[in-house]
Amino acid sequence: MRDESPIPLVFKVVAGLALLVLLLPLAIVVLAGLNAGDYLTFPPQGLSLRWVKAFLSSPVFLSAYFYSFLLALAATAISTVIGTLAALYLARSGSRAAAFLRGYFMLPIVLPGVVLGLSLYVFFTTTDIGLARTFTGLLICHVLVTSPFVIATVTASLVGFDVSLEEAARSLGASPWTAFRKVTLRIIAPGISAGCIFAFIVSFGQFETTLFLSVPNREPLPMAMYISLRYKFEPTAAAAGIFAIALVVISTIITSRLVSLRRVFRA
Amino acid sequence: MSDIRLVNLTKTYGEGNAVSEINLNIGEGEFFSLLGPSGCGKSTTLRMVAGFIKPSSGRILIGSDDVTGLPPEKRDIGIVFQNYAIFPHMNVAENIAFGLKLRKRGREEIARRVTEALKQVGLAGYGERYQRQLSGGEQQRVALARVLVTEPRILLLDEPLSALDKGLREEMKFWIKDLQKKLGITTVYVTHDQDEALTMSDRIGVMQKSRIIQIGTPQEIYERPKTLFVTSFIGHSNILDVTVRGRHGDDVTVDLAGRELRARAADGVAPGGAAKLVVRPENVLLGGAVGERDMRLDATVLSETYQGAIVRYRLQVGAQEIVAERQNQAHVERFAPGTVVTIGWDPEWSEALVA
Repeated sequence: MRDESPIPLVFKVVAGLALLVLLLPLAIVVLAGLNAGDYLTFPPQGLSLRWVKAFLSSPVFLSAYFYSFLLALAATAISTVIGTLAALYLARSGSRAAAFLRGYFMLPIVLPGVVLGLSLYVFFTTTDIGLARTFTGLLICHVLVTSPFVIATVTASLVGFDVSLEEAARSLGASPWTAFRKVTLRIIAPGISAGCIFAFIVSFGQFETTLFLSVPNREPLPMAMYISLRYKFEPTAAAAGIFAIALVVISTIITSRLVSLRRVFRA
Repeated sequence: MSDIRLVNLTKTYGEGNAVSEINLNIGEGEFFSLLGPSGCGKSTTLRMVAGFIKPSSGRILIGSDDVTGLPPEKRDIGIVFQNYAIFPHMNVAENIAFGLKLRKRGREEIARRVTEALKQVGLAGYGERYQRQLSGGEQQRVALARVLVTEPRILLLDEPLSALDKGLREEMKFWIKDLQKKLGITTVYVTHDQDEALTMSDRIGVMQKSRIIQIGTPQEIYERPKTLFVTSFIGHSNILDVTVRGRHGDDVTVDLAGRELRARAADGVAPGGAAKLVVRPENVLLGGAVGERDMRLDATVLSETYQGAIVRYRLQVGAQEIVAERQNQAHVERFAPGTVVTIGWDPEWSEALVA
C-alpha cells in the first residue's frame, strides 16, 4: 500500500504552476538568445549560436559584462564584511539603538530603487563630493542595496547561536578575535555565504539605482542590455542574458559547495 | 590548584545590585556551592570570577594573583556551562584539543592528553563523534574533559546538572564529586538545587537578593539555618509562631500554644518579642518515641499519609499545624486521625529565628 502523502494535491499543483511561471521566462530568454533570425522574437526562427558569437565579439557587451562582474564582486566583498559586523551588533546589543538600526539598515531595500538612485544622485551632485557618476559612487550605492541581504541572512544564522560557545572558547584561552574566528565565524559561515550569493546576484542585476549613477559610457550589463533593446532590438541582449544566468547559477553552485547551503535553511 | 578570595565583590546594574559586597574565601581543593533561587546573583558572581562580567567594585584573587582586571583567557580557569557549549563544528577530540592547541602544545602531546582525558571521563573511543551524536550526560563529560585537560587553577560549574533528567542527575552528582576529589581542584558550583548542594559541597554559601546570607557546611546549613529564608529554601520545615519568654546565651524559652519550650536561638531573637520556631518534620517524634528530656506537647492527628518509606502526619497544636515524618520501619506505631497524641522533639534540634 502507498503511504499517504502529507502534502495535499492542490498544494502540489499550485507549487508546480508557480515553478513554471518562474522558469518559463528564463527558458524564453535562453531560446531567444539562440535565435537564428534577425530580431528578438519568440518562438525563435530556428536555432543558432549567431547571437552568442555576436555577444562574445561585442566590445560593448563584453566589457559591460566584466564591468558588472567586477562591480558585483567589489560590492559583495564590502557588504559581506559590513553586513556581518552589523548583524553581530544587532544580535548582541540589547540597546534601543539596535532595534531602531535594525529597521534603518533595511531601508535601502524597502525604498523603491528609483527613489534611492535619484536621492543618491541628487546628494552626490548637490554636495559636489566628486561621487556623481563615478565607479566609487556606484559601488557605494550597490553596497547600500546589497548589505541588507547579508544582514538578513547572517542575522538568521545568529538566531539560536549560543554565546556561551564563544565564552567557552575564551575561558579555554582564546583571545576575543581567536574565539570569534575559530568558533562564531565557523558556525555562522553558512549564513555569510548565503548573504554573499544574494549580494552578488542583487548587485549584478541592479538596474533602477544604476540608471542614475552609472559612469557615462561605462554601463553595467543590465544598462547595456536596456540600451541595446531600446535602439536595436537585437537578440544579442538575450544572448547576454544567457551569460548572466550562467554566471549567477555557477556562483551559487560554487558558494553552496564551499559551505553547505542546506545548513542555513535547516538552522 | 589555588584558593579563591572575593573581596567586597559588587555588581550594580542600573539602580539595583545584582551582587552586593561578597566577601568569601574558598580554600584550596574545596568544593564550594553558591545556592539560591534564580535572580539571587549566584550566576553573576560566577561569571565575574570567570571574567565574563566586570565587577562594579571589589576584587577577585585566584591564588596570589589579583585577576580582577584580567580577561577570561588570562585567568587560567575552567568553566562548564549549563548547556555544556560543545563546539558543534568540531568532533569530541577537537573540542578537547582546543585549549591545548591554543597553548601551542606539540601534536603528539595533544593526541596523548586528549586520549587520557577521554579515558578519565569514561568516554574512551568517542573522539570522532560530534555534539549532535552525544547524549546530555556525554556532552557534560566532554565539557569537563575539555576543561580539565588544560589543567586550570580552578573549576567553575554553572548549574551543570539542570539540563539532565533525574536518574542521570543523581549519577552525575556523585561522579562529578568523585572526580573533583580525585583531582583536588578548587571548585565553585552554582545551583538552585538544595540536594545537589548538600550532596556535593564541602561548604555552601546560601544567596538571597544579591547577598550571601549564610556560609557553612551542608550540615550547618541544614541543621542550623540562621534565617527563615535559609530554612525554607533548604528542605521542609515546620515554621511555628511563638513568643519569646527569656534568653540564656544560645538558648531561649518560647511559648507555643501555652506550653513553655526550650530551643536554640539565632542572633537577634530577644525576650518579649515574636519569633519563629523551626523544627524539621523528621525531628518531630510521636507517641512512645518522645524521650524524657524532649520538649513535649499534646497534638491532635489531622491526617496520616502513607508514602512508602515515610509516613507523614499532619498534627494540630493550638491553632497551628505541625508536620511530622516517620521512617516506616518494622513495628512502627501508627496513629489514626482524630486521636490525641504526645509529640515532642529534642530542643537542640529546634531553632528560634527572627520572625
